[in-house]
Amino acid sequence: MDRTDRDVVVPGDLLSENPRDSGEGTYVKDDKVYSLLYGLANRRRDKIRVIPLAGKYTPSTGDIVIGIISDITFSNWIVNINSPYEGLLHISEYPKRIETTEMPKYLSMGSSIMARVKDVDSTMKVELTLNDKRLGSLKKGRVIEISPSRVPRLIGKGGSMINMLKKELDCNIFVGQNGRIWVNGRDEDMDLALKIIHIIETEAHTSGLTDRISEFLKNEKIARS
Amino acid sequence: MSDDVLSEIKKDYLYHLVLKGERTSGRSFDQYREISLETDVIKKADGSALVKLGKTQVMVGVKIQPGEPYPDTPNTGVIITNAELVPLASPCFEPGPPTEYGIELARLVDRGIRESKSLDLEALCIEPGKNVWIVFIDVHILDDCGNIMDASSLGAIAALMTATVPAEQYNLGEDFPLPVRDIPVATTATEFGGVFMFDPDSDEESVADTKLTVITTSDGAICGMQKSGANAMSQDHIHRIVDISCEKGMEIREKFLDV
Amino acid sequence: MRMNGDISFLKDGFRLDGRRPDELRPIKIEVGVLSRADGSCYLEMGNNKVMAAVYGPREVHPRHLQEVTRAIVRFRYNMASFSVEERKRPGPDRRSHEVSKVSREALAPVIQTSYFPRSVIDIFVEVLQADAGTRTAGINAASVALADAGIPMKSMISACAAGKVDGQIVMDPMKLEDNFGDADMPIAMTPSGEITLLQMDGNLTIREMKEGLDVAKRGCQQIYELQKAALIERYSRMGDLERCKNAESTQGIQVI
Repeated sequence: MDRTDRDVVVPGDLLSENPRDSGEGTYVKDDKVYSLLYGLANRRRDKIRVIPLAGKYTPSTGDIVIGIISDITFSNWIVNINSPYEGLLHISEYPKRIETTEMPKYLSMGSSIMARVKDVDSTMKVELTLNDKRLGSLKKGRVIEISPSRVPRLIGKGGSMINMLKKELDCNIFVGQNGRIWVNGRDEDMDLALKIIHIIETEAHTSGLTDRISEFLKNEKIARS
Repeated sequence: MSDDVLSEIKKDYLYHLVLKGERTSGRSFDQYREISLETDVIKKADGSALVKLGKTQVMVGVKIQPGEPYPDTPNTGVIITNAELVPLASPCFEPGPPTEYGIELARLVDRGIRESKSLDLEALCIEPGKNVWIVFIDVHILDDCGNIMDASSLGAIAALMTATVPAEQYNLGEDFPLPVRDIPVATTATEFGGVFMFDPDSDEESVADTKLTVITTSDGAICGMQKSGANAMSQDHIHRIVDISCEKGMEIREKFLDV
Repeated sequence: MRMNGDISFLKDGFRLDGRRPDELRPIKIEVGVLSRADGSCYLEMGNNKVMAAVYGPREVHPRHLQEVTRAIVRFRYNMASFSVEERKRPGPDRRSHEVSKVSREALAPVIQTSYFPRSVIDIFVEVLQADAGTRTAGINAASVALADAGIPMKSMISACAAGKVDGQIVMDPMKLEDNFGDADMPIAMTPSGEITLLQMDGNLTIREMKEGLDVAKRGCQQIYELQKAALIERYSRMGDLERCKNAESTQGIQVI
């Protein structure tokens, strides 16, 4: 009854009779391991985990996310981070010392930011920070959204997929853990980037994807020149 | 998806495209998304249609039952139009009584059917002053990906055109097809960045400054209009939108609703 | 429309619609049919046509409804005006409130709500055409929609009813059998046989009730296989490179 590499499973499917195999996306009952999710069962290093096909983004400390300012209170910006939970960006976490009255001037409603998740408590209160050179507000380029469950595939093992894309597409690309992606470059390059990201999102579960994308990119470049 | 908050980057991107004369979908400004129309999908209803306009999906059901006429029109049938913007169709729809958007949509669909005189209401009299056929048009939104107005209107007329009056069920004679004598078609355009575009998708609707729906009849006359949205529209744009609406109406009528 | 006299529901072991006593009506299941919803399922069970959608986990409004340690589950069952014989006034009535409650209670036991404190998982079922068994159809569709939305669950839930006509227990009664038969007993259960929905109206001896439960359980088991097959088939539909290349619009990609 062993479910191994890349089998589609549904919640409640029996994955293993060995409770020690239980990894992410699974649960143990009566010493047996079952799937919690609709997704791909994947055996890796003695653990079976189920990779979901869909699902919302749940913030974790340390994640870098792309957010949109949705409200401004006395000393906090309320940030939409594409999650059931909103992020709070306290005025002290802005890289510059500013007055509370100046808050809308620096980050107004609808502004996009790249922020780090500073802390998440047990009630899912999410604190964000911009105190880092890499972080800040996004003014140029485009921000697109994919299903957060596809982010690992877009990044690839050790960054293999994303690094290839950055190089081949000649674009600045940043993938937020929350499924939002910032792209900046020339119009045609960004258009192509969007197309590729869409293909990756749809085919995240298939094998040989990196090669297929590489091939696709080569053909597009030939077509363009 | 960020439904309640409109990002500046999104607005800028759409504006940037508009300046280049483009839309995110690659459509031209007067181009409709792919339309699919299936009628007679709900057998229990007397008429029905499922409309897909791009990813927007709307189901319309028609039920025809005998009932009392309105006192001021004792010899004609009655049309009652309702729209349910059910929460299943969008994160922006909440359960509860119809909101002003739902009511506006229903009334506009109704206006198209009624003002074009598409239904021969005199033929729907059973017993003058006492009994007439009541035609219920119920719009049920399934997936709001923009422009539920045109989808609902198309569904309504398609459902009516394929409806049967169930006279036998009520011992009032033989069943007969609902008498439809005109085919109103609604077309909607939104304005953004000084440019107007037809059949807005959800993004285009969210950035729209204003919106104009025009309902035209088979002979190219206008039988209904509604401008919505809190911004002003120039007369020039209104003229041009109306011209295109008439053409679009013809196209859609010929392609999907030809008798 | 009332029928006079005694109708015979069984003739030579076959029911009015040609089925055997332990046969389900034909079922059709389509996964992921709506774009706005996080998960969705269109399901037909005989002449029943239902659409289920799941939104969530998402923020709870109004705030005071939220629970600090887990997600709350809401279920709204609604019938379209044109779904029934006589046009129904839109909006909830007492029956739809009851169906919503028991349906929610049929699914909640398997949903891992502790993963999502202070949020809500909203389940919506719209009945587009009704023909006895809409609540079981709705629960079946909702279960698939929940999986489609990526909601963690201990297992799927499947639902089926048993009825009694002409002294015989039958599986998945259709409208005539429900209206003019002697009993209707809808159940929902996990594939391992734990019951999460149980209702009954009519007249059954204890022996008949137990037989009905067995019959309904077998129906649930068959439905579970169909739900699973639909979910697995849907996955293999995804990822057609050619189709993506030619796609005009970037589906799923939204510039925000």
